[in-house]
Amino acid sequence: MAHIPDGVLSLPVTVAGWAGAVAMTGLALRHMKEEAIPGTAVLAAVFFTVSLVAVPVGPSSVHLLLSGLMGLMIGPATVLAVLVGLALQALMFGFGGFTTLGVNLVDIALPGVVVGALLAGPVRRTSPTRAGVIAGLGAGACVLATGGGVALALALSSPDYVPSAKVLLVTYLPLMAAEGLITGFAVSFLKRVKPDALAGASP
Amino acid sequence: MIRRLILALLVLAATASPAAAHRLKLFATIEDGRIAGYAFFIGGGRPEGAAIIIRGADGQELYRGATDAEGRFAWTPPAAGTFVVTADSRDGHVAEVRLGAERFTPPPSPAPDQAAMPATDTAAIEAAVDRAVARQIRPLLETYDEAEGRLRFNDIMGGIGMIIGLAGAALWATSRRRKGADS
Repeated sequence: MAHIPDGVLSLPVTVAGWAGAVAMTGLALRHMKEEAIPGTAVLAAVFFTVSLVAVPVGPSSVHLLLSGLMGLMIGPATVLAVLVGLALQALMFGFGGFTTLGVNLVDIALPGVVVGALLAGPVRRTSPTRAGVIAGLGAGACVLATGGGVALALALSSPDYVPSAKVLLVTYLPLMAAEGLITGFAVSFLKRVKPDALAGASP
Repeated sequence: MIRRLILALLVLAATASPAAAHRLKLFATIEDGRIAGYAFFIGGGRPEGAAIIIRGADGQELYRGATDAEGRFAWTPPAAGTFVVTADSRDGHVAEVRLGAERFTPPPSPAPDQAAMPATDTAAIEAAVDRAVARQIRPLLETYDEAEGRLRFNDIMGGIGMIIGLAGAALWATSRRRKGADS
Protein backbone atom coordinates (compact mmCIF):
# COMPACT_ATOMS: atom_id res chain seq x y z
CA MET A 1 0.00 0.00 0.00
CA ALA A 2 2.08 2.89 1.19
CA HIS A 3 5.36 1.03 0.74
CA ILE A 4 6.02 1.31 -2.97
CA PRO A 5 8.80 -1.16 -3.83
CA ASP A 6 11.89 -0.46 -5.91
CA GLY A 7 11.64 -0.70 -9.66
CA VAL A 8 8.05 0.47 -9.97
CA LEU A 9 8.38 4.24 -10.11
CA SER A 10 9.88 6.14 -13.02
CA LEU A 11 12.97 8.30 -12.58
CA PRO A 12 11.27 11.75 -12.56
CA VAL A 13 8.78 10.62 -9.90
CA THR A 14 11.59 9.13 -7.81
CA VAL A 15 13.68 12.30 -8.05
CA ALA A 16 10.70 14.53 -7.24
CA GLY A 17 9.91 12.34 -4.24
CA TRP A 18 13.47 12.58 -2.96
CA ALA A 19 13.51 16.35 -3.46
CA GLY A 20 10.32 16.69 -1.45
CA ALA A 21 11.61 14.33 1.22
CA VAL A 22 14.91 16.19 1.61
CA ALA A 23 13.12 19.55 1.86
CA MET A 24 10.66 18.22 4.44
CA THR A 25 13.43 16.57 6.48
CA GLY A 26 15.46 19.78 6.47
CA LEU A 27 12.50 21.84 7.67
CA ALA A 28 11.63 19.27 10.34
CA LEU A 29 15.21 19.22 11.64
CA ARG A 30 15.26 23.01 11.85
CA HIS A 31 12.08 23.03 13.95
CA MET A 32 13.13 20.11 16.12
CA LYS A 33 13.19 20.99 19.81
CA GLU A 34 15.26 19.06 22.29
CA GLU A 35 12.29 18.14 24.47
CA ALA A 36 10.48 16.69 21.46
CA ILE A 37 13.16 14.09 20.75
CA PRO A 38 11.96 11.32 23.12
CA GLY A 39 8.35 11.67 21.96
CA THR A 40 9.43 11.55 18.35
CA ALA A 41 11.46 8.42 19.01
CA VAL A 42 8.53 6.72 20.75
CA LEU A 43 6.22 7.50 17.85
CA ALA A 44 8.86 6.36 15.36
CA ALA A 45 8.97 3.03 17.20
CA VAL A 46 5.17 2.85 17.18
CA PHE A 47 5.03 3.61 13.46
CA PHE A 48 7.80 1.10 12.75
CA THR A 49 6.02 -1.76 14.51
CA VAL A 50 2.40 -0.92 13.76
CA SER A 51 2.92 -0.67 10.02
CA LEU A 52 4.54 -4.11 9.97
CA VAL A 53 1.25 -5.72 10.94
CA ALA A 54 -0.68 -6.06 7.72
CA VAL A 55 -4.20 -7.40 7.35
CA PRO A 56 -5.05 -9.04 4.01
CA VAL A 57 -7.98 -7.37 2.22
CA GLY A 58 -8.97 -8.75 -1.18
CA PRO A 59 -6.05 -8.57 -3.61
CA SER A 60 -3.97 -6.46 -1.27
CA SER A 61 -3.16 -5.99 2.37
CA VAL A 62 -3.37 -2.93 4.56
CA HIS A 63 -1.76 -1.73 7.74
CA LEU A 64 -2.16 1.23 10.05
CA LEU A 65 -0.11 4.38 9.47
CA LEU A 66 -1.14 6.62 12.39
CA SER A 67 0.17 9.66 10.51
CA GLY A 68 -2.74 11.80 11.73
CA LEU A 69 -2.00 10.95 15.34
CA MET A 70 1.70 11.67 14.82
CA GLY A 71 0.91 15.01 13.17
CA LEU A 72 -1.19 16.08 16.16
CA MET A 73 1.30 14.89 18.76
CA ILE A 74 4.67 15.93 17.35
CA GLY A 75 3.84 18.18 14.39
CA PRO A 76 6.63 18.57 11.81
CA ALA A 77 8.78 15.99 13.62
CA THR A 78 6.40 13.41 12.09
CA VAL A 79 8.69 13.55 9.05
CA LEU A 80 11.65 12.35 11.11
CA ALA A 81 9.68 9.59 12.83
CA VAL A 82 8.37 8.29 9.49
CA LEU A 83 11.79 8.61 7.86
CA VAL A 84 13.46 6.50 10.54
CA GLY A 85 10.63 3.96 10.54
CA LEU A 86 10.63 3.58 6.74
CA ALA A 87 14.42 3.37 6.51
CA LEU A 88 14.54 0.62 9.12
CA GLN A 89 11.69 -1.30 7.49
CA ALA A 90 13.40 -1.15 4.11
CA LEU A 91 16.74 -2.13 5.63
CA MET A 92 15.53 -5.03 7.76
CA PHE A 93 12.53 -6.42 5.92
CA GLY A 94 12.81 -5.14 2.37
CA PHE A 95 9.48 -3.34 2.76
CA GLY A 96 9.34 -0.51 0.30
CA GLY A 97 12.75 0.35 -1.06
CA PHE A 98 15.49 2.93 -0.95
CA THR A 99 14.93 4.53 -4.32
CA THR A 100 11.27 4.94 -3.39
CA LEU A 101 11.94 6.10 0.18
CA GLY A 102 11.46 9.73 -0.84
CA VAL A 103 8.07 9.19 -2.45
CA ASN A 104 6.91 6.98 0.42
CA LEU A 105 8.03 9.54 3.00
CA VAL A 106 6.16 12.36 1.27
CA ASP A 107 3.05 10.19 0.82
CA ILE A 108 2.88 9.21 4.49
CA ALA A 109 4.33 12.14 6.42
CA LEU A 110 3.05 15.17 4.51
CA PRO A 111 -0.68 14.51 5.15
CA GLY A 112 0.10 13.96 8.84
CA VAL A 113 1.99 17.23 9.16
CA VAL A 114 -0.69 19.19 7.27
CA VAL A 115 -3.55 17.68 9.27
CA GLY A 116 -1.63 18.24 12.51
CA ALA A 117 -1.07 21.90 11.68
CA LEU A 118 -4.68 22.46 10.63
CA LEU A 119 -6.34 20.66 13.53
CA ALA A 120 -4.03 21.59 16.39
CA GLY A 121 -6.07 24.71 17.17
CA PRO A 122 -9.57 23.15 17.10
CA VAL A 123 -8.37 20.10 19.06
CA ARG A 124 -6.84 22.33 21.74
CA ARG A 125 -9.98 24.42 22.18
CA THR A 126 -12.79 21.84 22.35
CA SER A 127 -13.84 19.15 24.80
CA PRO A 128 -12.05 15.76 24.76
CA THR A 129 -14.93 13.98 23.04
CA ARG A 130 -15.22 16.56 20.30
CA ALA A 131 -11.43 16.67 19.92
CA GLY A 132 -11.51 12.89 19.38
CA VAL A 133 -14.12 13.22 16.64
CA ILE A 134 -12.17 15.99 14.89
CA ALA A 135 -8.91 14.03 15.13
CA GLY A 136 -10.61 10.86 13.85
CA LEU A 137 -11.91 12.69 10.78
CA GLY A 138 -8.47 14.21 10.26
CA ALA A 139 -6.83 10.78 10.45
CA GLY A 140 -9.29 9.48 7.84
CA ALA A 141 -8.36 12.40 5.59
CA CYS A 142 -4.67 11.53 6.07
CA VAL A 143 -5.26 7.99 4.86
CA LEU A 144 -7.17 9.33 1.88
CA ALA A 145 -4.35 11.74 1.03
CA THR A 146 -1.75 8.97 1.36
CA GLY A 147 -3.79 6.74 -0.93
CA GLY A 148 -4.16 9.59 -3.42
CA GLY A 149 -0.43 10.26 -3.31
CA VAL A 150 0.45 6.61 -3.88
CA ALA A 151 -2.04 6.36 -6.76
CA LEU A 152 -0.68 9.55 -8.32
CA ALA A 153 2.94 8.38 -8.05
CA LEU A 154 2.05 5.05 -9.66
CA ALA A 155 -0.10 6.56 -12.40
CA LEU A 156 2.58 9.12 -13.30
CA SER A 157 5.24 6.41 -13.48
CA SER A 158 3.87 3.79 -15.79
CA PRO A 159 0.56 2.79 -17.33
CA ASP A 160 1.40 -0.77 -16.25
CA TYR A 161 0.91 0.01 -12.60
CA VAL A 162 -2.08 2.35 -12.67
CA PRO A 163 -3.95 1.27 -9.55
CA SER A 164 -7.48 0.12 -9.96
CA ALA A 165 -10.03 2.36 -8.28
CA LYS A 166 -11.91 -0.67 -7.02
CA VAL A 167 -8.91 -2.07 -5.15
CA LEU A 168 -8.16 1.32 -3.64
CA LEU A 169 -11.75 1.72 -2.45
CA VAL A 170 -11.90 -1.78 -1.00
CA THR A 171 -8.63 -1.39 0.85
CA TYR A 172 -8.67 2.25 1.90
CA LEU A 173 -12.22 2.60 3.23
CA PRO A 174 -11.78 0.06 6.07
CA LEU A 175 -8.36 1.51 6.79
CA MET A 176 -9.81 5.03 7.02
CA ALA A 177 -12.41 3.80 9.49
CA ALA A 178 -9.83 1.96 11.60
CA GLU A 179 -7.40 4.87 11.63
CA GLY A 180 -10.15 7.31 12.45
CA LEU A 181 -11.39 5.21 15.36
CA ILE A 182 -7.95 4.56 16.84
CA THR A 183 -6.76 8.14 16.42
CA GLY A 184 -10.05 9.49 17.78
CA PHE A 185 -9.90 7.39 20.93
CA ALA A 186 -6.18 8.10 21.42
CA VAL A 187 -6.64 11.84 21.06
CA SER A 188 -9.67 12.07 23.36
CA PHE A 189 -7.81 9.98 25.93
CA LEU A 190 -4.68 12.14 25.69
CA LYS A 191 -6.79 15.28 25.86
CA ARG A 192 -8.28 14.09 29.15
CA VAL A 193 -5.09 12.71 30.71
CA LYS A 194 -2.20 14.67 29.26
CA PRO A 195 -3.22 17.58 27.02
CA ASP A 196 0.44 18.62 26.68
CA ALA A 197 1.06 15.57 24.51
CA LEU A 198 -1.05 17.14 21.77
CA ALA A 199 0.86 20.40 21.72
CA GLY A 200 3.51 19.33 19.23
CA ALA A 201 1.89 20.90 16.20
CA SER A 202 1.24 24.28 17.80
CA PRO A 203 4.07 26.79 17.53
CA MET B 1 24.95 16.99 14.45
CA ILE B 2 21.51 15.44 14.08
CA ARG B 3 21.74 16.27 10.44
CA ARG B 4 25.05 14.47 10.24
CA LEU B 5 23.58 11.46 12.04
CA ILE B 6 20.65 11.25 9.67
CA LEU B 7 23.00 11.64 6.74
CA ALA B 8 25.12 8.80 8.09
CA LEU B 9 22.02 6.65 8.45
CA LEU B 10 20.96 7.43 4.88
CA VAL B 11 24.40 6.62 3.50
CA LEU B 12 24.40 3.36 5.45
CA ALA B 13 20.94 2.59 4.16
CA ALA B 14 21.83 3.36 0.56
CA THR B 15 24.98 1.26 0.54
CA ALA B 16 23.71 -1.77 2.44
CA SER B 17 21.88 -4.16 0.19
CA PRO B 18 18.51 -4.84 1.74
CA ALA B 19 17.17 -8.37 1.92
CA ALA B 20 15.65 -9.40 -1.37
CA ALA B 21 12.19 -9.46 0.12
CA HIS B 22 9.21 -7.33 -0.77
CA ARG B 23 5.93 -7.02 0.92
CA LEU B 24 4.23 -8.96 -1.81
CA LYS B 25 6.08 -12.10 -2.76
CA LEU B 26 5.65 -14.57 -5.52
CA PHE B 27 6.37 -18.28 -5.52
CA ALA B 28 6.52 -20.01 -8.89
CA THR B 29 7.74 -23.38 -10.05
CA ILE B 30 7.66 -25.33 -13.27
CA GLU B 31 6.23 -28.79 -13.14
CA ASP B 32 5.73 -30.83 -16.29
CA GLY B 33 6.13 -27.74 -18.43
CA ARG B 34 3.43 -25.85 -16.50
CA ILE B 35 4.15 -22.64 -14.61
CA ALA B 36 2.30 -22.70 -11.30
CA GLY B 37 2.61 -20.94 -8.00
CA TYR B 38 1.06 -18.36 -5.74
CA ALA B 39 1.49 -14.84 -4.47
CA PHE B 40 1.67 -14.14 -0.77
CA PHE B 41 2.19 -11.28 1.61
CA ILE B 42 5.01 -11.33 4.08
CA GLY B 43 3.43 -11.62 7.48
CA GLY B 44 0.48 -13.60 6.19
CA GLY B 45 -2.34 -13.45 3.69
CA ARG B 46 -2.75 -14.40 0.04
CA PRO B 47 -4.01 -11.82 -2.45
CA GLU B 48 -7.25 -12.74 -4.17
CA GLY B 49 -7.75 -11.35 -7.66
CA ALA B 50 -4.26 -9.87 -8.01
CA ALA B 51 -3.13 -9.55 -11.61
CA ILE B 52 -0.64 -12.14 -12.85
CA ILE B 53 1.30 -11.17 -15.94
CA ILE B 54 3.71 -13.55 -17.63
CA ARG B 55 6.15 -12.15 -20.14
CA GLY B 56 8.64 -13.87 -22.39
CA ALA B 57 12.36 -13.18 -22.48
CA ASP B 58 11.77 -10.37 -24.99
CA GLY B 59 9.32 -8.63 -22.65
CA GLN B 60 6.28 -9.48 -24.71
CA GLU B 61 3.18 -10.16 -22.67
CA LEU B 62 2.07 -13.78 -23.09
CA TYR B 63 -0.49 -14.27 -20.36
CA ARG B 64 -2.61 -12.07 -18.12
CA GLY B 65 -4.80 -13.53 -15.42
CA ALA B 66 -5.80 -13.19 -11.82
CA THR B 67 -5.06 -15.18 -8.71
CA ASP B 68 -7.78 -17.32 -7.17
CA ALA B 69 -9.08 -17.18 -3.60
CA GLU B 70 -5.84 -18.72 -2.34
CA GLY B 71 -3.55 -16.51 -4.37
CA ARG B 72 -2.75 -19.31 -6.83
CA PHE B 73 -2.23 -19.18 -10.56
CA ALA B 74 -1.15 -21.61 -13.29
CA TRP B 75 -0.36 -21.34 -16.97
CA THR B 76 1.07 -23.73 -19.50
CA PRO B 77 3.43 -22.03 -21.94
CA PRO B 78 3.39 -23.27 -25.53
CA ALA B 79 7.11 -24.08 -25.37
CA ALA B 80 9.98 -24.05 -22.92
CA GLY B 81 11.78 -20.75 -22.55
CA THR B 82 12.60 -17.93 -20.20
CA PHE B 83 9.58 -16.34 -18.54
CA VAL B 84 9.12 -13.45 -16.13
CA VAL B 85 6.11 -13.76 -13.85
CA THR B 86 4.80 -10.55 -12.29
CA ALA B 87 2.15 -10.26 -9.60
CA ASP B 88 0.48 -6.87 -9.17
CA SER B 89 -2.11 -6.20 -6.50
CA ARG B 90 -3.15 -3.07 -8.43
CA ASP B 91 -2.25 -0.68 -5.64
CA GLY B 92 1.51 -0.55 -5.73
CA HIS B 93 2.48 -4.01 -4.52
CA VAL B 94 4.45 -5.72 -7.23
CA ALA B 95 6.50 -8.90 -7.11
CA GLU B 96 8.48 -10.54 -9.88
CA VAL B 97 10.04 -13.95 -10.42
CA ARG B 98 12.24 -14.97 -13.33
CA LEU B 99 12.10 -18.55 -14.51
CA GLY B 100 14.98 -19.56 -16.74
CA ALA B 101 14.66 -21.97 -19.65
CA GLU B 102 16.94 -24.41 -17.84
CA ARG B 103 14.23 -25.06 -15.28
CA PHE B 104 12.02 -26.75 -17.81
CA THR B 105 12.33 -30.49 -17.86
CA PRO B 106 12.10 -32.20 -21.21
CA PRO B 107 8.50 -33.19 -22.01
CA PRO B 108 7.59 -36.59 -20.58
CA SER B 109 8.07 -39.26 -23.21
CA PRO B 110 5.39 -41.90 -23.75
CA ALA B 111 5.59 -44.89 -21.43
CA PRO B 112 8.42 -47.12 -22.63
CA ASP B 113 7.30 -50.48 -23.91
CA GLN B 114 9.23 -53.69 -23.44
CA ALA B 115 11.02 -53.47 -26.79
CA ALA B 116 12.15 -49.88 -26.37
CA MET B 117 15.67 -48.87 -27.21
CA PRO B 118 17.98 -48.20 -24.24
CA ALA B 119 18.25 -44.51 -25.31
CA THR B 120 14.51 -43.82 -24.90
CA ASP B 121 14.63 -45.74 -21.64
CA THR B 122 17.25 -43.33 -20.33
CA ALA B 123 15.19 -40.31 -21.42
CA ALA B 124 12.10 -41.67 -19.70
CA ILE B 125 14.01 -42.35 -16.51
CA GLU B 126 15.52 -38.87 -16.62
CA ALA B 127 12.09 -37.28 -17.00
CA ALA B 128 10.68 -39.38 -14.16
CA VAL B 129 13.58 -38.47 -11.90
CA ASP B 130 13.16 -34.78 -12.78
CA ARG B 131 9.48 -34.92 -11.86
CA ALA B 132 10.15 -36.77 -8.63
CA VAL B 133 12.87 -34.32 -7.60
CA ALA B 134 10.66 -31.35 -8.45
CA ARG B 135 7.88 -32.81 -6.32
CA GLN B 136 10.23 -33.48 -3.42
CA ILE B 137 11.98 -30.11 -3.33
CA ARG B 138 8.83 -28.03 -3.80
CA PRO B 139 8.03 -27.87 -0.07
CA LEU B 140 11.65 -26.96 0.54
CA LEU B 141 11.51 -24.08 -1.95
CA GLU B 142 8.23 -22.88 -0.46
CA THR B 143 9.65 -22.93 3.05
CA TYR B 144 12.74 -21.10 1.88
CA ASP B 145 10.75 -18.33 0.19
CA GLU B 146 8.59 -17.94 3.26
CA ALA B 147 11.51 -17.93 5.70
CA GLU B 148 13.33 -15.32 3.66
CA GLY B 149 10.50 -12.86 4.12
CA ARG B 150 9.46 -13.64 7.65
CA LEU B 151 9.11 -10.90 10.20
CA ARG B 152 11.38 -11.92 12.98
CA PHE B 153 10.82 -10.74 16.51
CA ASN B 154 14.55 -10.18 16.91
CA ASP B 155 14.62 -7.87 13.89
CA ILE B 156 11.70 -5.84 15.20
CA MET B 157 13.31 -5.49 18.59
CA GLY B 158 16.56 -4.55 16.87
CA GLY B 159 14.77 -1.81 14.96
CA ILE B 160 13.23 -0.42 18.13
CA GLY B 161 16.63 -0.54 19.79
CA MET B 162 18.10 1.41 16.89
CA ILE B 163 15.39 4.07 17.26
CA ILE B 164 16.15 4.38 20.97
CA GLY B 165 19.84 4.67 20.13
CA LEU B 166 19.15 7.40 17.57
CA ALA B 167 17.08 9.34 20.10
CA GLY B 168 19.86 8.98 22.66
CA ALA B 169 22.44 10.19 20.17
CA ALA B 170 20.26 13.15 19.22
CA LEU B 171 19.74 14.09 22.87
CA TRP B 172 23.47 13.78 23.55
CA ALA B 173 24.19 15.97 20.52
CA THR B 174 21.76 18.70 21.55
CA SER B 175 22.95 18.68 25.17
CA ARG B 176 26.55 18.99 24.00
CA ARG B 177 25.63 21.88 21.75
CA ARG B 178 23.82 23.62 24.60
CA LYS B 179 26.77 23.11 26.93
CA GLY B 180 29.00 24.61 24.27
CA ALA B 181 26.70 27.63 24.03
CA ASP B 182 26.57 28.06 27.82
CA SER B 183 30.31 28.10 28.40
